[in-house]
Amino acid sequence: MTVRWRLLRWSAVLFVLVGLLAPFLANDVPLVARVHGTWSFPAVADCFGQSTAGPDDLSWKRWWARLPADAEDFAVMPPWPYGPLETDATRFRAGPSVAHPLGNDDTGRCVLARLVHGAGTAVRIGGAAVLLAGLVGTLLGALAGRRRGLVDFLVQRLIEVFLCFPSLLFLLFATAFFGSSSLGLVLVMAALFWTSFARIVRGELLSLRERDFVLVARGLGVSEWRILTRHLLPQVRSQIGVTAAFCLAAAIVAESTLSFLGLGAGGPSSWGEMLRQGSTAAAMGAWHLWVFPTVAIVAVVAGCHAFADRLRGER
Amino acid sequence: MTRWLLLRLCWLVVTLLGITAVTFVVLDRAPVDRAEIEAAARAGSGTLTAPGSRDAAVLRLRVRYGLVDPVTLEPAPLWQRYTSWLGNALSLRFAGPNEDPAAFWRRFTRALPVTLLIGGLALLLAFGFGVPLGAWSGMRAGTRADRAVSAGTFVLAGVPEFLLATLLLLGFGGAFLQWLPSAGLQSRGAEALSWWARLADSAAHLVLPVAVMASAPLVLVTRFVRDAVARAAAAPFAHNLRALGLDPRLQRRRLLRNALAPVATLVGSLLPMLVGGSIVVENMFSLEGLGRLAFTAVVQQDQAMLMAMVVLTSLVTLLALIASDLLHAIADPRVRLGR
Repeated sequence: MTVRWRLLRWSAVLFVLVGLLAPFLANDVPLVARVHGTWSFPAVADCFGQSTAGPDDLSWKRWWARLPADAEDFAVMPPWPYGPLETDATRFRAGPSVAHPLGNDDTGRCVLARLVHGAGTAVRIGGAAVLLAGLVGTLLGALAGRRRGLVDFLVQRLIEVFLCFPSLLFLLFATAFFGSSSLGLVLVMAALFWTSFARIVRGELLSLRERDFVLVARGLGVSEWRILTRHLLPQVRSQIGVTAAFCLAAAIVAESTLSFLGLGAGGPSSWGEMLRQGSTAAAMGAWHLWVFPTVAIVAVVAGCHAFADRLRGER
Repeated sequence: MTRWLLLRLCWLVVTLLGITAVTFVVLDRAPVDRAEIEAAARAGSGTLTAPGSRDAAVLRLRVRYGLVDPVTLEPAPLWQRYTSWLGNALSLRFAGPNEDPAAFWRRFTRALPVTLLIGGLALLLAFGFGVPLGAWSGMRAGTRADRAVSAGTFVLAGVPEFLLATLLLLGFGGAFLQWLPSAGLQSRGAEALSWWARLADSAAHLVLPVAVMASAPLVLVTRFVRDAVARAAAAPFAHNLRALGLDPRLQRRRLLRNALAPVATLVGSLLPMLVGGSIVVENMFSLEGLGRLAFTAVVQQDQAMLMAMVVLTSLVTLLALIASDLLHAIADPRVRLGR
């Protein structure tokens, strides 16, 4: 357990946590509020895409500012009280400052808040795509590896078909034609990525199948399903992990590429979308608009690769 | 060998059918009604005036697009539309019903050389740098030089193409240093220049896009060669060569011959990469190649063009896979073709 490995693992945990908890970490609506005696949880509502309008036809921050000091009502803001879409005319393209350490963009949105929500987009879309692809790929790969013959043959042909797909082209037209729904993007990515899982699992199972411990288990009357889940799949775990890490990197790159090209499903808070904006603003000297998203993408992609390398070395 | 090739070609046809079928189904699920769009466009341009005639016009367009059966006027089933597309495709009619086939092919043939030029140069660059660099660092596996090369490829692998293109454009194409042109293949008015000046001008335009296109293949080739050479250098036969006291140059040649044979199989996985890369690169550097054509087809929801693109790219990929297996067998006599 080296220091580097520990660092890598903790940063991965941190990245996933920040991504999943983005609406609770950086938002312009309170986590908990008490308005006219009733409790509400606007940040939770924001997670589910419900309206987050403030009370009394005011924004939450205005309402908070106008609240008399002795009022019963109160609100607890997130640790970073700026939303990814909250614009402010007084800080158009303002550089880094104490209040906004990563600066502000063309419409006065806080870059740090957008980066945090961009991590959320990356984790949600990339994670869902990899999970789905891993599930489908492992199942089909196991099926093909366990039962030779027709099933194996069909799965292999299916893998071949999906392997030769021009993936970026496919992603492009899928997102362009189906509008920017993240569910559609996840499904398409899973359809493109499952082959890597299936190939790995199939290949490993083919070589493990003839080993003595499988024969022993079968001789003892262990069911096929149990042999697969308890005896075979645990041995392939690290390889599945390696594939998942590479696929996560690929999914994040694909999502930000699509956003960069203006066809993204990640919504306005995607790192690719930020870079799109940043690359046009760079000529006007707004360096902070492209430096920080660049660092974020490279760090996460390189981190995924390092993770995969490490897992592979462990085997 | 011939039998193997025939079998592979048969499978190529089957796989191609699978790919086009999947793409066709996906494109078909798209909530885009071409007949409605076309009818709206005509109504907008004034070709269609009477309000009652609109439905009839939409129906006529549907028949023309093969969306409904011309006899019963029921919506045509999916397989029927696919087979009619397939029939057209087999006779190389990829253009949509509303398009002049000659114009369609012209768009294709005009874009093809641009992509071939950039992709070919990128592949040359990737192999030209990747193979020697990988071999060099593989020979020194574990040393500081090897680790430096590994770190370099590691960082480069972490930079997606669109990001690398953005950074290079920012760095050299305008924002900071104005060294290289950032768009197109020629400067304006380049026709007036002498032959040499024009060549230099084109070369300057090619530097950035080719560099971006070459980055992903370069990483792949360098790592692959490095690992293969390192493995060969640690193999028993390499120890044997050393123990025999063979001339180091001869030792190296034996090693490389062994390690480099599988490099041929890389070509198969590089081509899809180049297709994806060309979409990003041609878009960002305003090059009128196939990637740009695909992107405009996506934006304009041009299904006929997209199907043609998918057929072309997957056909090339499948052929490259076969070619790389053949090359592998030629380079490495231990490999036998066949199942």
